[in-house]
Order: sequence, then structure tokens, then C-alpha cells
Amino acid sequence: MEDVEFDDILDDWFIESLKTYKDLHVYQLEHPTQVIEWTSEKTVCVAGYSLSKNEILELRLPLKLFADENKGLCAERDFKVAHGGFTDGPVRRLRHIPGTRCVVTNDGLSSDLQVWDLGGDDSDVIRRTGSIAGRRNVSERGSRIAARLSSPPEVLHGAQSSDIQLTELTSGRTLYKLETDSTDPLSFLQFVSDTVFLAGCCNGSVYVTDTRTSAAPQLSPPPASSGDSVLWWADASVGPHPSSCRVVRLSSSGQAVVSDLRSLGGGAVCQAQVDVQERCCNLDHVRVSWAPTLDDCISVSGFSGVVQIYNTCGWSMELQERQPLFQHRGHVVSSQQTDDSTPVFTTAHIWHPERPRTLLSAASDGSVHVWDWVDPEQSAAGSPIPRT
Amino acid sequence: MPEINVTPLGAGQDVGRSCILVSIGGKNIMLDCGMHMGYNDDRRFPDFSYITQNGRLTDFLDCVIISHFHLDHCGALPYMSEMVGYDGPIYMTHPTKAICPILLEDFRKITVDKKGETNFFTSQMIKDCMKKVVPLNLHQTVQVDDELEIKAYYAGHVLGAAMVHIKVGSESVVYTVSVNKYAKSHISAWIDKCRPDILISESTYATTIRDSKRCRERDFLKKVHETIERGGKVLIPVFALGRAQELCILLETFWERMNLKAPIYFSTGLTEKANHYYKLFITWTNQKIRKTFVQRNMFEFKHIKAFDRSYADNPGPMVVFATPGMLHAGQSLQIFKKWAGNEKNMVIMPGYCVQGTIGHKILNGQRKLEMEGRATLDVKLQVEYMSFSAHADAKGIMQLIRMAEPRNMLLVHGEAVKMEFLKGKIEQEFSIDCYMPANGETATVTTNPSVPVDISLNLLKREMALGGPLPDPKKPRTMHGTLIMKENSLKLVSSEQALKELGLNEHQLRFTCRVQLQDPHSDPDTLHRIYTHLKSVLKGYTIQHLPDGTVMVESIVIKVSSSAEDTNAKVLLLSWSYQDEDLGSFLSTLLKKGLPSGLC
Repeated sequence: MEDVEFDDILDDWFIESLKTYKDLHVYQLEHPTQVIEWTSEKTVCVAGYSLSKNEILELRLPLKLFADENKGLCAERDFKVAHGGFTDGPVRRLRHIPGTRCVVTNDGLSSDLQVWDLGGDDSDVIRRTGSIAGRRNVSERGSRIAARLSSPPEVLHGAQSSDIQLTELTSGRTLYKLETDSTDPLSFLQFVSDTVFLAGCCNGSVYVTDTRTSAAPQLSPPPASSGDSVLWWADASVGPHPSSCRVVRLSSSGQAVVSDLRSLGGGAVCQAQVDVQERCCNLDHVRVSWAPTLDDCISVSGFSGVVQIYNTCGWSMELQERQPLFQHRGHVVSSQQTDDSTPVFTTAHIWHPERPRTLLSAASDGSVHVWDWVDPEQSAAGSPIPRT
Repeated sequence: MPEINVTPLGAGQDVGRSCILVSIGGKNIMLDCGMHMGYNDDRRFPDFSYITQNGRLTDFLDCVIISHFHLDHCGALPYMSEMVGYDGPIYMTHPTKAICPILLEDFRKITVDKKGETNFFTSQMIKDCMKKVVPLNLHQTVQVDDELEIKAYYAGHVLGAAMVHIKVGSESVVYTVSVNKYAKSHISAWIDKCRPDILISESTYATTIRDSKRCRERDFLKKVHETIERGGKVLIPVFALGRAQELCILLETFWERMNLKAPIYFSTGLTEKANHYYKLFITWTNQKIRKTFVQRNMFEFKHIKAFDRSYADNPGPMVVFATPGMLHAGQSLQIFKKWAGNEKNMVIMPGYCVQGTIGHKILNGQRKLEMEGRATLDVKLQVEYMSFSAHADAKGIMQLIRMAEPRNMLLVHGEAVKMEFLKGKIEQEFSIDCYMPANGETATVTTNPSVPVDISLNLLKREMALGGPLPDPKKPRTMHGTLIMKENSLKLVSSEQALKELGLNEHQLRFTCRVQLQDPHSDPDTLHRIYTHLKSVLKGYTIQHLPDGTVMVESIVIKVSSSAEDTNAKVLLLSWSYQDEDLGSFLSTLLKKGLPSGLC
């Protein structure tokens, strides 16, 4: 039941949404999730992060989202729980292993990983099939996990720069270890090609590693910024060639820096001061992400209950304040949270890999939204052009 | 062990037809009697052969209960009662009783007149069937017979929908299709008086997570607004008692908010019918509708006016709500025919359409329709299907169980393979069994009914006086008493009290036994030796050496006398009442073995 005082805000935003969103779906999970991960073209995985037992769910997105031609004839707006399972602890990281029905999770308390089988048509239960030991037992932030399509399936993981290893999923054999002495905690781990991966540290430095060579990884220092207590997150856009890959780094003070992969150590391509709103106490949930099909667009969430989209085209080398192209305020206005002391904050978001402006976002009150936003910049000059 | 059997009737695993058989305490109850809307042959009816191979169902069923007026819950009722044959009571709420026959008749007309089917119930059969209906009031206990009682509770799914509580003795079952927020908040209040043995619910949507109502409404308003803005007309075919009123209130608020000028119309047939039913069943409607009805007469809106058929030809944008809901006849079909050819227009279907109707055809993407007189109609307008119906989703079912606290859960109409996770979730969170019988399969739920018995004060006092640890529910202790069943009550009394009540004389039964013993001592000494021996063997028993020359163990009396023939032999006389039979036999066996030599 909505609060009486919220009804008005909801109405204003609600009416506005008729023009600002093409599609909008609002769901309420029983428990909030910190992870949203694609497991196929039409399914995503979410999982709880309370300290005791939690559920992992594989959800099928509503048919209506995919019915392009006869969209009007499809009334199906609901998520379907395709598979579900139970975990013994929190799930803070979850990664799907491409080409398999496996996901790998980490609880954020140790560096060990749990391996799960999502199940097929004959059962709707997600079962744990094994675990992979991390190199370090206790870890404050837990391990980051990355994967790309490979045969046999492999998973890249680590809690800090000295821990990173590539493990074969079924045998548990270590295939590659990053050799470095520095123990910087990681905030980002991603493959940009079959053999090259980036490991971003909380202090803003980035390792670029090629698993084929035994040479030392390239280490790029953090962007010129203020203060040692600044934390950094990152994301790399995966293009057709690794050389066209761009990296965006975002700091806890709101500085967003875009660099080319080739010249990561050198100057940045552009940067901006983004509008980081009320900081919530825990920044574990910050995400910065490149849009898969909109050139130059990035999305930011985790600082508050809002998901922001910025167009980096037009950013300069000067650290100027930039306004977001679009803000999704849905989680704030329709918050189901009864405890007013901690305002709702976004915990995760992902882009749809093909539909240019469709995103999924989750918040601390258990809400999950699927939204297709309308580009407010109607003119061709300003609006990002979808690649496909 | 006492058990309750639940069998969903029907063929195969398919969903779409609700008809559940429950056997409880020797009574057979049919819950709902729905039609499967997807089939054209006999598969659309539930498989009644499970109840009996041939003949009428009257002797095999104690009653039939219908939860609400949707056809997949009552569509097969006339077939069952008039064509298969059932003359017993059919229970349903007042609104359901009023609305059911209308829907059944509509459905019959479409199926027979439009599709030309023959093996179907007639109008007269619908009327005869409804004569067997016994209407239910909310919260009123109805004694179906001496042992079976039922009670209906507000469910809120659609107008008149009810949750049913069925009780036979101390076993009970609750059946519900879907429950709205209001009803949910009240379940725990009335249902906690007796936790039902089984809670039965549908699970067709149990694995869904529903999009919010606001988003559905948003989509509706967006579509209407876009059509109006481009100068198009919006036709919304509605069923008088469906979501029409809510959609009207929504549009009215939106129009006011956005300061829109396009006219909104409501066909008069709709107004009259709806007015009639809502007035009749005002207590059954939800808050929003009641507020509107109380504040103003149902359809006195600022922006919504009564429709006249000539308005359909007016130029410019407009929105029209018209019946019937499936575009199968009447005003909505007439308007549709006029507007279908213009692609700027839109038709919004807010609910399910039965096969054979125009609504069903256009929802299946048909763009060319055959009308009367072989004329074809090109469907150029935009067709939108929007679902506003409320079904129990994953979260809803968990909430329901949390509040009702049944001892067992039973879900029907789901595919077992796709429900393992939900079953595990329910079993884990509530530590209860979750049954999921397939159609035609019987789930047997063992119950543990408690039989309340009064114990007489005397007997209670006596048991307490026996000493020992206080009674512990986990450690049952044997007690002796007599159970008297008088009228409908059970009483546990002492034997004496029972004899007195029954006016019978008490008879005592005593056993006597002689044991020969070789013992050279004097009679009193032998007795003393026996006393010492028994004291060492029978610890914890009351053993007394009495001055009258006997030893007593509980009620057992032991006397010693010398043998007439043999001076070294003694004859022990043991005597006990039959209540101490066990101890008595034990003593006689023990003493036959003789006394140990070391005794003093």
C-alpha cells in the first residue's frame, strides 16, 4: 500500500513517465538483489545478499518486451521464475559462464567461489555443483569474477591484484596467475578479448594483462585526482577490436575519466564531474557501465536511488560538471521501503545487449525495474546513434 | 490414520479448468466446476468418470461449492448438474449466483449459435441448474448436514469471489483461488482459530513475479493518450462487471489531470447493468468503487457521458466503453465495424475472449474478418490486449501460507517439474508438506485430528495423587479410566463413576495362588525372610510387613502357613486383585524359585 504523501510524487513522475519512457515495468522481489546477470537472451539471474540463507532465481523476462511486431497482442508483462535455488550465505557477485548453464558466485566475505548449475527443462531447481578456492582465505571485499566464451569453460577471479587467477571450471586447475606483489583490492575485472583482461583496483590503477604471455602485466596509474581515500570503479566497452576498446573510470567523488585501452597510462580522452547525489554510507553497490549499442553512453548507479545515463560525446579534457542525459528515478518515487532512516539506493543495473535503451535496475528495497527510456535530445546532432 | 483425499479432475496436465474433488471425514465435496476454454470437444469438461462410471452424481457428492463466476470455474456446472446429473446443493455467494447465469447464457449463445455446436447445455438447463443453488452469506456457517459445515470468506479476486472453509469434525480444508490485499490482511484474524489441515490454492501463476498495477495502468493511459493525440478513436469493449468501473475512474482522473477535452462515452446498457449489480452487492465491492459510488452516483463523471449510437460517426478523437466484452454482438461490435478500417483508431481488449468471438480472432492477429452476408472487414486499427486480472503469484502464495498457517499445502494446476523450487521453498520456510497432484491424481494427506475429551475432576485428582513426575505432554503416562460418549461429548471418568452412571454393580476379581516353599524356619520367620527378600528385589514398590501376619505388596497379600505333611515345607498363599495381575504373576514366579540362602 503506497503512503498517502507519496501518492502525489508518484502521480507526477507517473504522468511524466508516459512521455519519458517507451516501456516501464516495475517488479517487487521478496528480497533485494545486488546482482543482475544475463544468462541467455531472455533470462537474467538475481540473488539475495542477506547474511543467512538466500535464493538464486533465474527469471525469464516478460514476453511483451520481446514481441516487437505484434507487441500489442501480447499481454504478458510478468517475470517468470524459470529456475530457483537456495544458498547458505549472501551472493554479492554472480557471473554467468558463457556457453554453459553454469553461474559462479562469491559471498563477499571470502575469496572462494561457488559453482551452480542453473538446470534445464527437466527441473526448475538450481543446484550447487562445486566450489573453487581463491588464493586468499579472508577478504574484505570478496572476489571479482569475469568470464568469456571458452572451451572448456574457465573463470577469472580474484579479490586483489596479487590473487588473480584463471581457473578451469570443471577440473579446478589453475591455468594462469597474475604475477605481481602489490595487493591492491579489486573493484573491476573484465575480459576485453579471449586472452586480454583488465583488472581495475579500488585505488584507480588498472592492470592490462594478456594470458598468453608470461611478461609482466601493464600497470596504468590512477587518474590524476584528489585524495587518497578516493575509490574507483571501472568498465570497459567491448568493441570489435580490442584496440578500439575504451575504459571509463569513476571515482567516489564523482570524477568520470574516459581513456582508450591503448593509451590507458597516458592522457585520458575526456573526463567530467558527474552529478553524484546524496552519498549513502556504503558504496559497495556502485556500478558504471558502457551502453552496449549506444555510442559514447555510460550509466552510473549506486550512489543513491537513481540510475543516471550520460553522453560522453562532447566531454572535454577539463573537469567540468556535466548533467545526465537521462535519470531513472523510479526506485525513489515508488520505494516500498518502510524504514525511512536509510533511503533506498540502487544495488545493480545492466543494459539489454541489443535493445538500445533498455535497462534493468535493482534497488535495496527489493524492487527491480525494466525500462526503455526516450532520448530527450530529439536532434540528430546530440542524440547517440545505436550501432546496429 | 485419518486422511483427506484431494483429486483435481480433468485430463492430462493442462490448466484452464478448475474442478477439485475433496474427500474429508467421509464426505465428498466438489470445489468449482469449470470449463476448459481451449477445447471444442469433451475435453473441455472435467472428467466426472472418476466419481462414478455411469449414472448420476447425486449419491456420490455431498455438495458442490463454486468460488467465483469466471467460466473456468463454473462453466461446466449446467453440464454437470443437468447432463451428467446432480440434484444436491450447489453453494455460491449471492453475487456469484446473480452473475453466473448471465455469463453461462452468453457463453452458450456464442458456442451454440455462432459455432453451431450440438453437445452443449441449453438455456433451460442453465435455469434448472441455478434452481439447485443455495446462496451463501459471508461469515455464515452453513450446515450441509449433521457433520459437514462450510463457511465463505471475502476473497476479493472478482465481485463475489469467496474463500471457502470446509469442516467435518475436527478436520478442515480451506480453498481459495486468489486473494487480494484486503482479504489477506484479515485471513490471520479468522483462520487462526483452527489451522486448516490443508490449504488448497491454484498455482498456475505461482512461478510469476507480477508487474505492478501502476505500470499496467500506465500502459493503458499511454495507449489511449497516443491515440487521442493523433486524432484516433479508442474502443474499449467491456464486461459490465469487470474492470470497467476502475478503468473509468482512472481515465477520469487522467483527463482531469492533463486537462484533456476529447469526449469519453459509456454505453447505457453498461451503466444500467453495472448500477444494478453494484447497488445489490455494495458490500462486496472494493474501496475505490465504493468511494466513487458513495461520493456520487456511479456514472456521474465530469468527463464521461452516456453514449448514443450516432456519436460513433462523429469526427475527431473519442473513447468509448461498450458491451459486450468479447465483441461478439451488440453495441461494441457495431462500433468496431465502423472504426476498424482506420489505422489511427485503437481497440483495447481488457480481458480474455472466448473462441468464436471477434475479440478472440483479432487477439490472434487476424486482420481480415468474415462478417454476416459474406462481407469481409479489414482490420486496420491498432489492437491492444491488456490484462488487468489478478492472480496469485509466487509472493502471494507465500503470504497466504504465512497468514493461514495450514498444516499442509496443496497446489493444483501447475506442472510438477516446474514447481520443484516452489515446493522446496514452502517446505523449507514453513516445515509443512506441499502436495502437487496432477489432474486425475489423488493426493492423500494424513491428518492428526485431535479429539477433545473432558476428564472428571475426581479422576484427575486421583492421577495427580499417584505421585511421580508431573504430566508431561512429551511423555504419555498410562492411566485407567472409562470413556463415556454421550450425545456429542466425550468424557473420561473413573471406573467407579462410570459404574455409578451406568447403574451397574461393581464386581471384584481376586486371584489366589499357593506356592510351596522349602524352609525350616518358623512361620513368622519365613514371613520375615520373604519380606526382606521382596524388599531387596522390588525396589520402588510399597512393601509392608503387617502386624496381622501378612506381607503386602501393593494390593497383593502374602500369608505363610506350615504344610501339614512336611514340617520343613511352607505353603505361601498369594492373593491379588485382577488390577495387579502382572505383579501377582511375577511374585508367584519369583517365590516359586525359593528364598536365597543368605537372608537373615
